[in-house]
Amino acid sequence: MVVLMKCLVLMLAASGFLSGQSESERKPDRVISITAERFAFSPSRITLKHGELAELVLTSEDTDHGFRIPSAGIDVAIPPQGWGEARVRFVAKEKGRFVFECSRPCGAGHNLMRGTIEVK
Amino acid sequence: MVLGLIGGMAQAQPDIERRLEGLERKMKQLDPSFVSAPEQSVLERLQALESKMDAALAAKPQTPAAALAQAGPGLQAVSVTGDFQKAADTETRLPVAGYMDFHVNNESGDSFRPDFHRFVLLFGHSFSDRIKFWSELELEHSLVEGGEESGELALEQAYLDFLITPRFNLRAGMLLTPVGIVNERHEPPSFNGVERPFVESIIIPTTWRELGFGFTGDLGRGFRYRTYLTSSLDASRFNAEFGIAEGKTSGFDASMRNPAWAGRLEYAGIRRLTMGTSLYSGLAGFNTPGVNPRVTIANADARYSFGRIDLRGLFANTWVSRAGELNRLVRQQTGVNPNVASQMRGYYFEPALHILPRRYRHDLIAFGRYERYNTQQKMPAGYLPLEQFNRSSWVTGITYKPVPDVAFKFDYVFNRNQSAVVSALNGLNLGVGWWF
Repeated sequence: MVVLMKCLVLMLAASGFLSGQSESERKPDRVISITAERFAFSPSRITLKHGELAELVLTSEDTDHGFRIPSAGIDVAIPPQGWGEARVRFVAKEKGRFVFECSRPCGAGHNLMRGTIEVK
Repeated sequence: MVLGLIGGMAQAQPDIERRLEGLERKMKQLDPSFVSAPEQSVLERLQALESKMDAALAAKPQTPAAALAQAGPGLQAVSVTGDFQKAADTETRLPVAGYMDFHVNNESGDSFRPDFHRFVLLFGHSFSDRIKFWSELELEHSLVEGGEESGELALEQAYLDFLITPRFNLRAGMLLTPVGIVNERHEPPSFNGVERPFVESIIIPTTWRELGFGFTGDLGRGFRYRTYLTSSLDASRFNAEFGIAEGKTSGFDASMRNPAWAGRLEYAGIRRLTMGTSLYSGLAGFNTPGVNPRVTIANADARYSFGRIDLRGLFANTWVSRAGELNRLVRQQTGVNPNVASQMRGYYFEPALHILPRRYRHDLIAFGRYERYNTQQKMPAGYLPLEQFNRSSWVTGITYKPVPDVAFKFDYVFNRNQSAVVSALNGLNLGVGWWF
């Protein structure tokens, strides 16, 4: 019985994860390029529609930065200039305003290297 | 009933096997090292899958999936792809950040002089998502020794940010005065040349920090601002050669009797273009009884990159009121006329070319910078300008970055002044600076 329960839990977990996989394979509704440079993201304000699948293409104009959306548990490193890009996909499930910020100390203005994603 | 249950279970068995095979296939897609073993029992195969999934969850911070934590209430993370792993994989992160700057300087007719100019460690802490601390502790010229002429151990920044809304945040502590480009962005790999631009050392002091508080924010559409009330400059230390630069208190023996105001507005709404303008105004006479000159600085600057070319330029003008009275007072106090001007002016322009194609990770930058800076631009009545301080410089050199945060620098500086008597010395500089 315990084995069957485990099997069920495993399948549920996997099916949840795999539904995310299909989102990762589908063409995003919005692709937004964000540039990180000491000490700002550009653009720093992003507006999305409720339910949209968004893909952020993150590049740096100087050192490596971090990109963190605390409320979504996203935290990735943006490689330094010329070393490529990071792409983050997420679904705007709820309306509201969500803060993103640099998660890698980058200098004097690091604390204010932030932006917002507004889901309408 | 028992027979029905057994029959149902017998019917469910192929279905479970089929779904188990599907799961194993998907696990293999997620982790190619996973090997399925169809000859094993369902229980063993489930245990193998279970342990693989546990291992994947335990390894969360090192994997792409790790970048996605649990789905948030509003934004559900789907995937993270790209090159972000490459950067993380090749570098070990320390719990502090910092930058260092090592030079070898040679002025015409002098010997090469090595100098570990800056050793800077930066510490930050988040008390919460809305209250954050940042600091910078700097050791200059390698050594600090009591009673001797040596280096400097200085608190360059130490402040708390209270993040209220994107448009409006509070900052308090030891602050970098928001004037010019380099004062707030002085990490060695972020500018060309072994030394900082003369205009941003003499007309605009760097590293200029004062005690104070103020507001910062992002106004949207690429506009952001900083506005502070800070401790004031000390006019008793102004002079002809360095203008107001030696009047910065750096938070030591500072005065807030007449707080100075500094503000900066920046626009970064177009990719790879940043424009800024700053204004500073404050009374500086807390050490010069009876004379309280007002210092006003206005500056405009821009940085732009297109293709493999970077451009940056800056203009700054400084006004010092009651400069004549200040000169007379300081002469009475010290016996030396500081010959402080009532206006000082400087500007520079720097084009730079990234020589290597984009496909190379190494970066080689050739640059030239023309600077004009005059700390005797306009003199108060009764004082003549010292023309050796009406200066210009051509700085030309290369910056080589094996990685973006390490810069080997070489430049040659052609200095000129307007004096017929005192000639300016040229200089050769070598250096390496890094940020981590």
